[in-house]
Amino acid sequence: MSRFDDELREALKRVDPPDGFSERVLARVAEERAKPSLIERFRRALWAPRMRWAAVGALSLAILAGVQHQRAVEQRARGEQAKEQVLLALRITAEQIQTAERGVRKLNASW
Amino acid sequence: MKQILAILAITAASLWAGPQDIHFPASLDALAGKAEEVVDITLDADMLGFAGAFMSDQDRDEKTAKDLVKTLKGVYIRSYQFKEEGQYSPDDLDEVRSQLKKPEWVPVVNVRSKTGGDNAQIYFKKENGKISGITILAAEPTELTIVHIVGSIDPADVAKLGGNFGIPNMSMGPAEEDGEQ
Repeated sequence: MSRFDDELREALKRVDPPDGFSERVLARVAEERAKPSLIERFRRALWAPRMRWAAVGALSLAILAGVQHQRAVEQRARGEQAKEQVLLALRITAEQIQTAERGVRKLNASW
Repeated sequence: MKQILAILAITAASLWAGPQDIHFPASLDALAGKAEEVVDITLDADMLGFAGAFMSDQDRDEKTAKDLVKTLKGVYIRSYQFKEEGQYSPDDLDEVRSQLKKPEWVPVVNVRSKTGGDNAQIYFKKENGKISGITILAAEPTELTIVHIVGSIDPADVAKLGGNFGIPNMSMGPAEEDGEQ
């Protein structure tokens, strides 16, 4: 037998795993399985008290901004409507003054 | 208890009444049903101020209106346009006229047509030598208009109304020959 054969036999010799190896492997597998998935970790992070309050705050701000914007739009519409009413009122007043003036002129002309 | 209720009623009435010192009679509401076109404007000081904030200084009419409303406390207008003549009675204005008989109201223009044409009366409310209100009653065959303005108004401001709002300038000077006469 050559020296090479001996070395090969030695290298391929059956070696028993150290004590408790399979238990450690199984425990590691179970541990990996027990780890939450990425989605689960994100969901948990989202429901963490701090994140929950931050989300509630952001949502409240968005609602408040929307309400404020809607109010501003309504306020503008009411203001424009009030302005049109004032202009119409003054136009009617001016017309009636003109009517009275025409009447006075007619009277003056007839004297 | 009755006194308290009476005081509360008077306070509520005065709050409801606001600055409007000529009250439009309920009979005018009945005219609204007959009229083809109705203009009903009620603007108190708050609304006038609010409206003024939306008026531009660049637009001539709006600038004039903005300057005018600054000193006004209320503008109240009822105008009814009828399809045919005879839809309203001159008596419909009696209740308003009776309120204008108070000494502070001075009639400045009174045009009455005997031939059924235009009738117009303008009253100024004078307080401490200043004009603090204007009421205009204008009755045409198919149109009835009551204008009541509350607030300190300079006669020059009244003249300003003519010449703006697309209406020729007003001049209460001597009669001139024009096409209408």
